[in-house]
Formats: sequence, C-alpha cells, structure tokens
Amino acid sequence: MKVSEIEMISPQTVEECLYHLGEKDKTSRFIAGGTDAVVRMKDGAWLPDTWINIKQLDSLRYIKEEENGIHIGPLTTHTDIVHSGLLQKKADVLTAASKEVGAVQLQNMGTIGGNIATASPAGDTIPTLFVLDAQIELTSLMEKRIVPINEFFVGPGRTVQAQEEMITNIIIRPQTENEIGIFEKLGPRKAQSISIVNVAISLKMGEKSRECLGGKIAFGSVAPTIVRSEKCERMLTINPLHDEAIQDIAGAAWKEVMPISDVRASAKYRRSMASALLERGLYRLMKRWDER
Amino acid sequence: MKDIHFKVNGKNVSVNCAPTKTLLDVLRDEFDLTGSKECCGKGECGSCTVLLDGVSVCSCLVLIGQIHDVSVITVEGIGLTSNMDVVQQAFVDEGATQCGYCTPGLIVSSRSFLDGINHVPTDDEVKTALGGNLCRCTGYTKIMKAVQTAARKQLTMEETTN
Repeated sequence: MKVSEIEMISPQTVEECLYHLGEKDKTSRFIAGGTDAVVRMKDGAWLPDTWINIKQLDSLRYIKEEENGIHIGPLTTHTDIVHSGLLQKKADVLTAASKEVGAVQLQNMGTIGGNIATASPAGDTIPTLFVLDAQIELTSLMEKRIVPINEFFVGPGRTVQAQEEMITNIIIRPQTENEIGIFEKLGPRKAQSISIVNVAISLKMGEKSRECLGGKIAFGSVAPTIVRSEKCERMLTINPLHDEAIQDIAGAAWKEVMPISDVRASAKYRRSMASALLERGLYRLMKRWDER
Repeated sequence: MKDIHFKVNGKNVSVNCAPTKTLLDVLRDEFDLTGSKECCGKGECGSCTVLLDGVSVCSCLVLIGQIHDVSVITVEGIGLTSNMDVVQQAFVDEGATQCGYCTPGLIVSSRSFLDGINHVPTDDEVKTALGGNLCRCTGYTKIMKAVQTAARKQLTMEETTN
C-alpha cells in the first residue's frame, strides 16, 4: 500500500463512522488532528486502505457538565480544554496537562480522544484522566459500553477498544470545592517535548493546616501503562503535608514505578525523577493551597 | 484522486489529487506558495505553520482530504513585499532573521498570537506562544523583540484608528 493509494472518507455522523468501521474487506483507521496518524503514515507504520477522517465531526466536540460528571467529546482539542472555564474550575489537573501537550500548533490540532486511542505511555492527558476517574464510552453498531480508565489500556499503543468500536464520550469526575490538582512533566525542553516522566496529582484538603483528606497520584511514562501510586496515596493522609511529610511520600515513589531505559532516558534516571516530580508537585500544590 | 475545494488566502480554489497529500505539499506544488517550508515533517519545528479557519496548525500534518471548505491563510496571505504586515516589518526592522527558513512559520505564529491579545507580551508569553517554532540561527532574542515591537506598533495603530 502506497500513501497515495490510501482512500479517505469524511463521515458526517457517528452512525456513518460505525458503519465504515464494520466493513470487513477493508482496513480502516480514524484520523482526527493527525499529529500522530500522519507521522505514522509517513513512517510507513500506519497504511490502512481507508482513512476515516473525523476532524470535521463537530457532534463529538463538546465540554458539558451532566448529572454523572463532566462529559468531554473525543474530538475536543487540547486548546478547547485549556480555554474551558468549566474545566479550569472543576478539572484543573486536566487543564494543566493539556497546556503541556506539544506546542500551540499541536494543541490546536490534537484531540483528547486521539491522545487516549493512541495509548502512548507518555501521553500527557492520560495520567490526569486516572486521577479524575475517567470513564470511556465505546460505541459499536451492536452496543455501547463504558470502560473505566484503569481497565482501558493494555500496553503501549494497546487498549481494549475493538476494531469496530469508536470512542464517543469521555466522562470525568468533577473536582470538589476543596480539591486541587497539578500536572508536572519532565521533558528535554519546555515546549513541544515528549514526557520522560510525568505525574498528575489531585488532593482533597481538610479544614486544618495542610491536612489532606485523600488524593490520587498517577505517573506516566514510567511503565507500559499509567501507574497509580497507591502507596504514596495512602501516605498522603498520615501527617499534614509539611516539608518532611512531602519528602517521605516522594521518597516512596521510586519503588512504585517500573520504567524502562530507552532513547529518552534510563530507567534509573526515570525512577529518581518520578520522586523529584512528585515532591515538586506537592510543594507547589501546598504553596497554592496556603495562598488561596 | 479526489476534487477538493477550499480557500487559500481568500480565494476559492480546487485541486485534484490524492486525499493523503499533505496540505503543505499541495500549497507548494500546486499553488506555488513556497513560503511555508518543510523541515522536520513531524510537527516539531513549525516551519510549515499556516492558519486553518484562523487557527495555527502544522500544514505538514494536515491531509488535503481533511480541509474541504476550510479557509487557509499562508505567510503570503499575511503580507508580501508590497503590503507587509506589521509583524513582517518588525522582523525586518529588528533583524530577526538569519537563514530565513523558520521565518515564514514564525510570522504566521506571531500573527496568530497577536490577533488573540491586546497588550505588549512579556518574554515568557512570547516564548510560550512561539514554543512550536524552532530557529537554529538567531538565538531568539531578536525574534522576541520583533514580536514585542509589532505588538507595540499594532496597539498604536489601533489607538489612532479608534
């Protein structure tokens, strides 16, 4: 298959997309922002018979609050997320992560659904979806099912999404009044870089000084899929989050991650950076909480 | 092969080609708009930046089949020698170019950035806005200065017209 022989269809509805996905005699793939798909096509890794172009499918581009959580359409761009007042208020950790995806051009092009479906262990929005208990709605011609985010990823680039299924909604838990979040990322430079390690943190704070009632911590780029750091999460509530407690929690993080060595960094470096990023994130969160 | 209709720099155009051809290749090969450059081809350097319906994107990662009915603005649409935009004039005045390969992308990104703000940006704001445009010669100091000069000029022009 040559690039010039690949066909493209641009469905106007979800039903039409599902119909094309179900065609057995042809291979097909979705293309939205193209920030990953076009690179892989140029590399020769993704050469389907047909691109199903969904860039223009505005019915799947929305951010709205419903009874069971905040609904984000898979074709919502990172720029849409950064500019959403609702998410700034009730999902600050996602806003923070979306600001760190690539640079302006890629934030304008890339979509949250694409970030999820691509399933890169370094995908910047994915750890935040773990701390916000995201649920992914998958739709096929036969059925609709909801998959919790912690069951969605199987390995690098692999998910439970079947060939005939499409991501049609992402539901996240809105943060409560006393909840604050942060996203920390280590990359080779500030803009436009792939994460060496990243971490999303969201904490529920109590009445007393730096009292933490509970929280969630998720690391990216340190294992085949995202790692929820349950040991560190349990330590959050032991003592108020003053400097010593923060150092103890961060000190436990390196045992929670299982990184590999690759072109971007060694496993050893990633382990120590996981601790460092968690420590930095907790300091910054507590500073923000004190100054609120 | 497919017929694709869209707008380039305000003019309605159509092209008959494979839908998987990149917008960048179509602009350069079919319309001779060679301002937009291919450098990395992966969305990392910003040399190919154009505006799609007013939004900055890397044209090397947009397939032509995806932009039916969309309006494309390239660096040529922002200004030519005879009608230079304030951003372009500021780049000239501040000497913010060396080899020039990254300049068209920087002009488009800067234009798009200045369209969205109403003040003279700080160094940090310019750095964030232009983080997707790599320059391997200048060291960026003059580029940042040019963007700030353009912003200042634009604000004075707006004040006089109001």
